[in-house]
Amino acid sequence: MHMIKAGIATLGLLLAGTSLLQAQMKRERVIQERPVEDTFLAGSITGMSTVENLPKNNMTSVVMHNFGLVSGGIDSFYGLDEGAAVRLGIDYGITDTFSMGIGRTSEENTVDFRFKYNLLRQLSSDRIPVSVALKGDLGINTSEEPRFDFTFTERLNYLGSVMVARKFSDQFSLQLAPMVSHFNTVIQEDANKDLKNTLYAVGIGGRLKVSKRNAFIFEYIPVVGDRNSGTRNHASLGFEIDTGGHVFQMFFMSGQWFTEQHLIARTNTDISALDFRFGFNINRVFSL
Amino acid sequence: MKSTIKGIVCILFLFSYTVSAQSYKTESGEAIFHSKVPLHSFTGSSEHLIGLINLDAKTVDFYLDLATLDTGIGKRDRDMRETLETDKHPFAEFFGKLVSDFDPSISKKQTVMVEGDFKIHGVKRNVRIDGTLQMTDQGLQLYASWILKLADYNIKPPQILFVKVDQEQEIEIKAILTPTEN
Repeated sequence: MHMIKAGIATLGLLLAGTSLLQAQMKRERVIQERPVEDTFLAGSITGMSTVENLPKNNMTSVVMHNFGLVSGGIDSFYGLDEGAAVRLGIDYGITDTFSMGIGRTSEENTVDFRFKYNLLRQLSSDRIPVSVALKGDLGINTSEEPRFDFTFTERLNYLGSVMVARKFSDQFSLQLAPMVSHFNTVIQEDANKDLKNTLYAVGIGGRLKVSKRNAFIFEYIPVVGDRNSGTRNHASLGFEIDTGGHVFQMFFMSGQWFTEQHLIARTNTDISALDFRFGFNINRVFSL
Repeated sequence: MKSTIKGIVCILFLFSYTVSAQSYKTESGEAIFHSKVPLHSFTGSSEHLIGLINLDAKTVDFYLDLATLDTGIGKRDRDMRETLETDKHPFAEFFGKLVSDFDPSISKKQTVMVEGDFKIHGVKRNVRIDGTLQMTDQGLQLYASWILKLADYNIKPPQILFVKVDQEQEIEIKAILTPTEN
């Protein structure tokens, strides 16, 4: 009797072993917690940078334009006849969290060097609820100024920004970005004007996806505290199209620059008075 | 009674020895896909292919975390994950049987065929795939390639402007599987 029981037990064990042999492996994900993707589709909304960074060895080329004020009417073909302010730039992902870039803006022949570093990335599990990135930008005014003999240092301007963003849903992302701008030199053309070397602002930007490939985008950069006389807060509203290879951004913006330190210090048109200009950006990412 | 227990232990020991001797596993196999659009082609790959081949039971089990596929461009990777809905369907997987003979005592490359279920994007289809197996000093070397038709798995090819990615994707897998320890 005992022998029969033992035989049955052996057979059971062997069958169990056989079924183990036949069993599939347990499927386990390599990456358990993925960062939230596409909080924004490009490195900037209009002129304001986003927390979105480049992966390692990816390079993006950015062509940014805007034209004259739409309020110029048909005489200036709604600003298009007034010529474009253009920034051409490239950025390169040195690591998955750190990128560096260079750009050249037609306004004042400004060359700017910038970096972006992701401190935190929002996780899909919400264990980290926001993405946080730092940005620094160093601008150099390389234009000829016949009245003054600027030293190199006097030509420099800077931006520091902390960008905090959250993708609330597949459709909506929002970013807040406290910023500080500094110009080594300000030129007081008018004695009544009060100009500051250092200014503070809080950028607000967002993206509202309306279809798989299209979204509305906006940004607003109110200056906080002292401001330069005659300046206004920059704002823009636009539409973004993701073609797969490129991200196109078409927008109306009040500021004329694509570097935040200039948008803070130099925007003198008021979007609430319908003083805005048409512009568009083209973003293209490459692998190197 | 004691001899019976000893007998059982011996059988189990022998059985488990046989299992370990004939089971080969990898956790770092390579999976590659080649994708074409007019005037352009690109490749994506992952080195996280996990597989187990049991030569006794003739079972073949492979899976890949699709989120590990890298095409070299972050944005393209994100688009691909969106197309494959990797949050909902994280794995591409195959489970089936070796339906041709393979002699592990021969060190020459041998052509083999597997038949079983391939599943991706939540759709499972019975497939037959040709490949090669070769017993080497490093382990059991595997190579296989086949054409995957996106429509067969309800995968809508992503569109770049007005150009669609080719329906047919060439898939390759390469791995060296080593004997399992248990």
